[in-house]
Amino acid sequence: MMSGQFLLATIDFAESLRNPLLWGIFCGALALGLLLPYRAQSARLPGLLLAILGLGLVVAALPAEFHWSETWIFRILVIITLISAVATIIMENAVYAAIWFALSLLGTAGLFFFQGAQFLALATIIVYAGAIVVTFLFVIMLAQPDGRATYDRISWAQSSKTGSVLTAGLLVGLLTATLGHLPDTGLSPPDLPNGILHEDHVAQLGSHLFTAHLIEIEIVGTLLLVALVGAVAILIHIKEEPSNEPVTEHE
Amino acid sequence: MNEVTLLQNYLILSGLLFGIGLLGFLVRRNMIVMFLSVEMMLQGISLSFAAWGRFHHDWDGQIMVLFIIAVAGCEAAIALALILVLVQRSQTLDIAHWQHQHEAGQLRFREPLVPEATVTTPIWPQLSPAGVEPEPDLEAESHRKRI
Repeated sequence: MMSGQFLLATIDFAESLRNPLLWGIFCGALALGLLLPYRAQSARLPGLLLAILGLGLVVAALPAEFHWSETWIFRILVIITLISAVATIIMENAVYAAIWFALSLLGTAGLFFFQGAQFLALATIIVYAGAIVVTFLFVIMLAQPDGRATYDRISWAQSSKTGSVLTAGLLVGLLTATLGHLPDTGLSPPDLPNGILHEDHVAQLGSHLFTAHLIEIEIVGTLLLVALVGAVAILIHIKEEPSNEPVTEHE
Repeated sequence: MNEVTLLQNYLILSGLLFGIGLLGFLVRRNMIVMFLSVEMMLQGISLSFAAWGRFHHDWDGQIMVLFIIAVAGCEAAIALALILVLVQRSQTLDIAHWQHQHEAGQLRFREPLVPEATVTTPIWPQLSPAGVEPEPDLEAESHRKRI
């Protein structure tokens, strides 16, 4: 019922144009278009300025009706997350991209903490930043050639880059234009005991996980095992093939 | 803490993270950066799930995020194994190298001419010499690529 109200919230364009959030996303999309690697290094400075402007608008426009200290903690977490997320995709060097991604994960973990999801925050740090990003770094060291490769410096053609930036900006802009002006009336959390804020958070999460979702847990465990075996099965023949077989000629 | 405002903030933020990840996936050509972007999209979705779970006082949102993390781990293992195989065959991380797999009738992507990267050698700080200068080990230095 309550999610139905979200779906029914229509976009009021005239009012959306007065929303600084939309302008912030517009500036951010423009800045990303300038910052993403394509030939011109000279576009970096205006891109950075636009990105800072967009980030400031977005952060200032986020509805914040918390205590002032909570508001500022939230804003700092948002800034960390968004800056490092943007830096992940604009870095030409894949090693830097992976490290910025790890920082973005730390920001996300902080946001989980802010929400009261303690176990998720820890799992994000341990599994993502601790295992997945490190695996990425290993593969980068195995596979990355020295120096900056051409494909890192130019990405695709200019037209497809512009189209992608517009698409992503439009998608997020429409979403936020819908969400930014929700009527506060009629939307309230259900009147139930809130276990998420309970002090036995992790114990309750675990008991819910191992009672209501027991079969899913077993399936996910099997999936992990299958992925492990699959990765080994993919890589076990890599040494037997000649390394420079004529697969294709590079154009 | 105002629950509705919290939900709105997290949904907007998750939309932004998802959009940034989508953009990275569409625009970059380095396979590793593309997979990092996919992980970033998953992060956006996770934030949204956790926010809805908190709003509805329901554990299932957080449990879905746990499953997302597990599936992302599987995905990373398989994807990185595939990347290693592809790199072994083509000696490059460029996804455009594999464009001959495209459907019939699609235009080929042609590499535009780009100026060479200007490599600037960084200036490292120098320590003032002290003591006896050691014999340089030429063999060890020849193994290092830089620094």
